[in-house]
Amino acid sequence: MNLNHNSDAYNKIAIKKYSNAISNKVFQGFIVLVTLVLFLFFLTALGNIVWKGLGGILESISGEEIQFAIRLSILTSITSTFICLAFAIPVAYGLERFKIPGRKIINVVLNIPISLPPLVSGVALLLLFATTPFGAILAERGLNFVFSVNGIILAQFFIITPYMIRILQTAFAEIDPRLEFVARTLGCTQWQAFYKITLPNAKNGIIAGLVISWSRAIGEFGCTLMVAGATRMVTETLPVALYLNMSIGNLETAMGAATCLIVISIISLFIFELVGGRNTQASRIS
Amino acid sequence: MITLNNVYKRLSDFNLKNINLNINDNEYFVILGPTGAGKTVILEIISGMYKPDKGEVWLNDCNVTSKSPEERNIGFVYQDYMLFPNLDVQGNIVFALKLKKVPAKIINQKLKQITELLNIDNLLKRHPLTLSGGEQQRVALARALVTEPEVLLLDEPLSALDPRSKELFQQELKSIHQQVKTTTIHITHDFNEAFVLADRVGIMKDGEIVEIGTPQEVFQKPNSKFVAEFVGMENIYSGELINGENGPHVNIGQVSISVVSELEGKVQFAIRPEDIIITREKFSSSARNMLDVQIIKILPQGAFVKLILDAGIPLVVLVTKQAVEEMQLETGQKAFAVFKASAVHVFKKPQ
Repeated sequence: MNLNHNSDAYNKIAIKKYSNAISNKVFQGFIVLVTLVLFLFFLTALGNIVWKGLGGILESISGEEIQFAIRLSILTSITSTFICLAFAIPVAYGLERFKIPGRKIINVVLNIPISLPPLVSGVALLLLFATTPFGAILAERGLNFVFSVNGIILAQFFIITPYMIRILQTAFAEIDPRLEFVARTLGCTQWQAFYKITLPNAKNGIIAGLVISWSRAIGEFGCTLMVAGATRMVTETLPVALYLNMSIGNLETAMGAATCLIVISIISLFIFELVGGRNTQASRIS
Repeated sequence: MITLNNVYKRLSDFNLKNINLNINDNEYFVILGPTGAGKTVILEIISGMYKPDKGEVWLNDCNVTSKSPEERNIGFVYQDYMLFPNLDVQGNIVFALKLKKVPAKIINQKLKQITELLNIDNLLKRHPLTLSGGEQQRVALARALVTEPEVLLLDEPLSALDPRSKELFQQELKSIHQQVKTTTIHITHDFNEAFVLADRVGIMKDGEIVEIGTPQEVFQKPNSKFVAEFVGMENIYSGELINGENGPHVNIGQVSISVVSELEGKVQFAIRPEDIIITREKFSSSARNMLDVQIIKILPQGAFVKLILDAGIPLVVLVTKQAVEEMQLETGQKAFAVFKASAVHVFKKPQ
């Protein structure tokens, strides 16, 4: 009796195990399926445009308009990225290491452009530089941001800086402050410890930040549109060229611009993975 | 010479209270205490990472309380080494010399000297993260010593090493100190390290230094129950000390124990397990205490055997294995526990 009872229980356990195994298989299958569907969707959408764009890409790239857009995009994005870096390094370091009063509030304000629609950021910048004495004084000194190439750089700077700060903050946070302290017992001033120890050890984070910020800058559209306008052959960056040509039905040129942007983003994503962006929080942000 | 005068420091999780230290030139001073006692904070205050809330820090007749770390000429070695990952071993060691723009020829001389002293001259081109713990520790020590600091601060330098490396490195620390003679403060929670290395030891508890002395003094005459427990005393009791006709003795329940002490009233006292002799027959000797005991438990511990006895009070005694075998000691047997009055360490009961 007892034996039967035991083997009964044993059977029950076996059945339970079996149904558990089925349930696990279903769950795994579901995850794989959803991933596959999403992957195919993205691949088709991007592949389609690249496929059609690649056919006419040589022709459209050699066209004067796209050439101008590529040159302008590269010039402005590199400029804005390095200005951004110059601000982001000290700010990220300060927010990470110093007990700055109101640190949290500063962090929130500096992060607002990440969640704000770029159009709104653009309007904010336009109003600041076009309607206030601050903007007027700068314009008098020859620094005009409204509807100009400067405006493109300004717009890109405003949009990408929060990303850069976040990436660098993560990079600095991963460097033990005691390294700097040991450097100081060896004779470094605060600046020397930062420059000789912290900065070199944040190298990968800085490269990741540069790549992410740069690729965001080159694709920036909404904010640029508000501040710099979309004037053909004047403030025509790649996204603006895409927009202008789409709106007049010039699909060939539009797709040439789109293909350039896709290629750039794939390359920068590749570099980002290469420098170990996987390990930084940045990969979750971007 | 390092002097701390009435140093107080409140941090979120530590609280240093009224730290007074005088560490002599060339001394090897060990600060001993359990985790969380605030030992590392003392080093960080001496080195200038933190400013004390109150009190002063002096290094060689110079008040450095408000000086920055780079002005103090200190060598600091962390438990987890903190080697610079962006530099190779050589880069780490010569970091300070290059910073001070020492001529290349002298840098090379000093590099050679220090790497030979620490036996790491074959590691120079290696990357710090590829080294073993012991090797990293040597490099960190070389990096600190090459600047010829006035003071060397070692934060648990042995606790991250495996037992074998630990023992080797402990011996090496001792011989290195004998050669370079740098005034050293060494932090640890391991009394053995203190015993082997220290000229003097300071015992810390809850942010205070509760006893300072040579390792022998602290080991043989702990001034409180805490120190006694910390240095490995096992038989610790509370009782009343009475200065009677037969000299001072403590009463604890039915048991009366002769002691040597000038204290009176409520006290705590401790007897080292290895200071007690076990005998099957009564014998007369100069030892003032002989207690009737029953063997409760026999616990082998390597070459030694720990006996748990009932003497009216629980008593732990350490004897050799051979002794147990020769005397044929067994659980439940009656015996006598003999110890000198001077083997009983009496300290004031904390209020």
